[in-house]
This record gives sequence, structure tokens and C-alpha cells, in this order.
Amino acid sequence: MKINFTNEQNAFRNEVRAWLGSNVPKTPLLSLDTKEGFEQHREWERTLNKGNWSMVTWPKEYGGRGLDLIQWLIFEEEYYRADAPTRVNQNGVFLLGPTLMEFGTHEQKSKFLNAMATGDHIWAQGWSEPGAGSDMAAIRTTAVLEGDHYKINGQKTWSSRATYADWTFGLFRTDLNSERHRGLSFILVPLDLPGITVRPIPQLDGEPGFAEIYFDDVEVPIENLLGGDGEGWKIAMATAGFERGLMLRSPARFQQTAAKLLELYLTKQDHCSPMIQAKIVEAWAQSESYALSIYHTASKMLAGGSIGSESSLGKIFWSELDHMMHQTALKILGASAELSQESQDDAARWIKGFMFSYAGPIYAGTNEIQKNIIAERLLGLPR
Amino acid sequence: MNFIFTEDQIQFKDAIKSFLTDECTPKSIREGWEAKQSFNPDRWQSLLELGVLNSNLPEAKGGLGMDQVTLALMIEEMGYAGLPEPVAEQTFLVNDLMALFPNSIRHAIEEIYDAGTKYISIAHPLAPNPLFVKDSVGLILFDNSECKFIAKNDMDFEIISSNDPSREIYKINSMENTISSSESFKELNSAISERGALMTAALLIGLAQKMLDLSSAYVRDRNQFGKPIGSFQAVKHMLADVAVRIEFAKPAVYRAAFSLSENNPKSALHCAHAKFMCSKAAELACKNSIQAHGAMGYTWEMDLHIYMRKAWSMMACWGNEDNQQDIIYKTLSSSSEELGVLYTF
Repeated sequence: MKINFTNEQNAFRNEVRAWLGSNVPKTPLLSLDTKEGFEQHREWERTLNKGNWSMVTWPKEYGGRGLDLIQWLIFEEEYYRADAPTRVNQNGVFLLGPTLMEFGTHEQKSKFLNAMATGDHIWAQGWSEPGAGSDMAAIRTTAVLEGDHYKINGQKTWSSRATYADWTFGLFRTDLNSERHRGLSFILVPLDLPGITVRPIPQLDGEPGFAEIYFDDVEVPIENLLGGDGEGWKIAMATAGFERGLMLRSPARFQQTAAKLLELYLTKQDHCSPMIQAKIVEAWAQSESYALSIYHTASKMLAGGSIGSESSLGKIFWSELDHMMHQTALKILGASAELSQESQDDAARWIKGFMFSYAGPIYAGTNEIQKNIIAERLLGLPR
Repeated sequence: MNFIFTEDQIQFKDAIKSFLTDECTPKSIREGWEAKQSFNPDRWQSLLELGVLNSNLPEAKGGLGMDQVTLALMIEEMGYAGLPEPVAEQTFLVNDLMALFPNSIRHAIEEIYDAGTKYISIAHPLAPNPLFVKDSVGLILFDNSECKFIAKNDMDFEIISSNDPSREIYKINSMENTISSSESFKELNSAISERGALMTAALLIGLAQKMLDLSSAYVRDRNQFGKPIGSFQAVKHMLADVAVRIEFAKPAVYRAAFSLSENNPKSALHCAHAKFMCSKAAELACKNSIQAHGAMGYTWEMDLHIYMRKAWSMMACWGNEDNQQDIIYKTLSSSSEELGVLYTF
């Protein structure tokens, strides 16, 4: 065990820092869940790609740099330090990307990874249905193979980014006689096909961050099937693992929030009770622990290990931590905490984050489902 | 950057685990309680023969020159087994500080403790009641300004009752022929406080894991309403919460141990962090484990409390969660550079 950065890793950090320093937009972009903001964020994805920073872990031929997970964590640290824009294509680069890498054909990888890197394809998730939320195996949207295409009918919901995205990926029932997690397939669907209707759902913050997608005899070419027909569940579980684990929520995000929380507290501590101080320490201690744990996991993966049900532990930890930090920030803000996220006050950013932090324990599999997974798969308790 | 253990480190951990599984059973611990002799000289001798007692002394002094990370991994296993003998104390608080003790005290220790094979007890304001004085050859005593050494025969002592019968603690009524020194006291005192926090953190993480394992086994086995209580979500979630806490406390222990091995100037913060996280994990492990056991958890008969009692002591000694919180806050508020995405390693 040797937990210092090498000279090479430090040099890489400096390179990232220098590039971000001269390229991160000086004024914050509009919210990515507005039409204009979405396009601003797409433009930022294009800028990242010009610098070859879309996804540093991907092979060079797909628009990456062929770097390892430790370098990716370093990149993320610098990214959050520079206050760079949220990745509008996180569903693509962080979730579908690794899944394609594992299960995609060469043709699929070249087509989709490159378009993802350039920002031409921004991806939405298509898992949940009105009758299939936590119980994802209850999926009923069908995709029937007819010659060289699938014909899709049904409805997806809570599809993050679907309002403005170009593509969605998700699970569809390809074997109509199947039940539960058998007979599902993982299919990639362009959102501009005839028969698709996207209905934005205004979120708690008022913005259309997710949407319903209706499929009415939508024809998708068979080349858009990822992995084998009927193997969807296995592939989706891998994607969900990436989502819960280190890909979607790298530690830098929470460490940066903890740092800003401390800053906020130090300017307003005269108005706060000692209880807040205890929360500040907890925020630092937990975000630090999350970072240590992720470096531990990344090192294990580099040594040939794999990440399994352990990602459920992390998902609970970061989502509860994020909510606790934002709750604490609002307590420090006092009566300013009632201002809206649109206000010009410094509080606005915390208020937006506070609302979003309520989503953390729900998305990517509710924390209750994660606890079932931990109890059954890690502790060996009966189903 | 490589945050995984070497083969050697894993071998040492596995070796002590397998020894303790056989030699430190709940039954043997209870026998020690009944005989009021929890320090088992035979087990101490076996640990000596295994090379554990002087493992972290330099090779020139008869040891293996073991680093703090390997030692922490072994101490975690001592926590898991609820080992009564003060091996963690001897290795982490005596051996590991030998180079820092003032010359007069170091000579006195070296003369009497036979290259780490004879036990020396410790008293410090953060853990004022020395352990197993009767079984020791001497005492290292810290007060607020100096460090002292007293040979066992130069002390009058009596046992006081601990809530953990495995921890025979003493008070010292009088002493003579004391060797005292205030030389580099500040440095020495920081070093022992950091190691005390880390040592108790490592023990706590082992104890928390043991309580979780006992509870998981119990709820798989115990039936109510016609099925194992472990199939109920209320029970599952309680234990899953403990698993989450343990998972995120562990790497803090390994990082703090690594910091000590590198003489990292932030080792005090890192040790405080480890103890803070492990105290919280152990606290929840106690609460949820006893709850998962139901009324059985509240009995003397069930083995759970062997480990719970030690956890209570380890949470209290060498700086509790509140003390660690204070250390962390003082560091964070004095220099905001200590915190944030670039300062973890």
C-alpha cells in the first residue's frame, strides 16, 4: 500500500488544471434542464472533446486518452475544483459508455462512443415505467422483432434528460411470454423516430429534468440491440453498478460541497450554534472517507478486482451525505433559506442543491432497495 | 497511488486471524472473566512465538520492522476476536514510540521489557487507568508535562472495576524510584495521542464487524411469524446501515496508519478522522446489534456483549468522538487548505 500520487500523476493533474483554467466558462451556464442551457452544456461537451477530455479512461480510438481510474479521479478532482459545468451527457459518458465498452460490438462502440464524446448524442435514461419503479423487473414496454427491426410499444417515465436529449437507452420486453427479469433486452433508441412522444415532467425545482416517453409502433433497427436478445437484465445491472458506484458520483463532488460548506460556515459562524460545527466536521469526515473508499475501490479494480453489490454501500453513503450537507447549509443561511433558486442571493445555489439532494436517496435505485441488496448479497440474509 | 494491501500485509492479517479464531474464543474469554485473570500468560507466550509482540520493533532490536499499516490490519483482527491481552497497546503505544521516548526512559524500558516480550502498561490523561498492571513489569505514565517510568515493584496498585471484565484496570496509590523526563514532551505526547486514537479505531472496526457478523447469523437463525427474522426489511435495513458505516470507516484507519508510517504532518488529523468514523460505526453497531438480537441481546449469556463492552471502552479511551471532532474542527478552521478535493493524499 502506497497512497501518494506519483510524479506522473501530479504532472497529469497540472495539465488538467491548466486546460480547465483557460477553458471553463467564466460565467456559469444556464440550467441544463432549460432548452437554452441544454445547448450551452452541449457546447461545453464539444469544448471538452476538442481538448480530448470527454472521458479520459476510454481508448484513444473512441475519443478517450486510454488512462486509468486513478487518473480519472484526478481529472474529476480538478473538474470540481474548477467549478466546471455539470456534464449534460453524464448518462452517456458515465453510464452507457462503460456498458458499451463491456458489451458493445466494435461498430456500436465506434458509432456511439465517438458521437457521445463530441456531444452529438446526448443520452437519456429509459428504465422506469409507471408500473416498474423500484420493481424494475415488472417492465411491460415491448419490443417485438419484425425482420430487421424491433417494433416498440409502451411507456417509460422518470427519464432523466429526455426532454432535450437525442437518444435514450433502456430495457424492453422482447419475449412477450417472459416474466420478470427474463426476456428483457437492452436497446438504444433515437428520440426523433416517428411514433415517439416526449412529455416533460416539471420537477420539484420547476424544471423539466425528466420526462415521460411514449412509444407507439416505433421501429428501431436491430443493430441498436446491445448484447444478446434477452440479456438485458444482466447488462442493466452492470450499468446500475456504474451509476451507484464511482462513475456517476466521484468523490470530488462531495468534497467540494464540504469545502464550500466550511467556507459558508466560517463567514456566518457568529450566528450559529455548536450543533452546526458538529455537522461541518461530519461533512468533512464523511466526504473524506468517501474519497478514501473510492481510491481503495479504484486500486482494487486496477489490480483486476471487480465492483459488485458493494456499490450499494456507496450509493447510500453519498446520497445521505449530500442531503445532510445541504440541510446544514440551509440552517447556516437562516431566513435566506426561504429564497428561491432564481434569486440573485448567494443562497440560491445551496437552495437548488438542497432540493436536488432529496432526489439522491431515490434515483439510481432507492436507498431501501440498496439496503435489501446489502442485506441479502453482502450479509447473507434471506430474501 | 496504490490503495491495496501487499501480499505480506494480507498474510500477516490472515495469520493472526487464524490464530485468534482458535485461541481466543468467547469461551476462553469467559474463563478469563470467571478466574479474574483475563491476561492469559499462555496466549501471550503464543503471540510472542508468532512474532506479534515485537513485530514492529526494528530488526536490530529483535523485531520484524513492521510498518503501521500492517500493524493496524492485525489490530483490527484483535478487535474482531475481542483479544483481552494488551497486544495492541504494547505494539502501538510502546514499541512504536521507542525512538521517541527520552533516553532515560527508553533505557529503563529496554532493560526490563526483554525486547518487547514482557508487558509494560500505560497511563495517559486520555486513558488514565492502566491495564493489567499485575501482569506487567512496569508502567509508563504521562501527565500534562512529563513522561515517567516506574518499575512494577516500585508501585502500590489496586484493581478497579471496569465495565469490560476483559479489561482489568488499576489505580496507582503510590510510587517510588520514578524516572521522569519532560524532554521533547510535546512531540511524544502528540505521537502517543495519535497512536492511541488510531489503535482504538482499528480495534473498534474489528469489534463492529464482529457484532455485525454475530447479528447477521442470529437473524438468519431466529424464526418468528414462521420465517427467519432476517427476512424482514426492518431488520435487514438496520444491519445494512451498520455495514455502510463500517465500509466507510475502514479506509480512514488504513490512511491514518499510512500517514504515521510516512511521518505525514497531517497524521494528527488523519488519526482523529479514523477514530471519529470508527466510533460512529461502532456506536451504531452496538445499538443495532442488540436490537437485532431482541431480548437475547440483553442477556449475559449471549456472546454479543463480550464485544460490545470492549467497544464501549474503546470508544471512551484515547479520545472519544467528541474529542476527535474538536481536533478535526480546530484543524479545519485554522487552515481551510486542509480541506477539499486536493488534500486527501
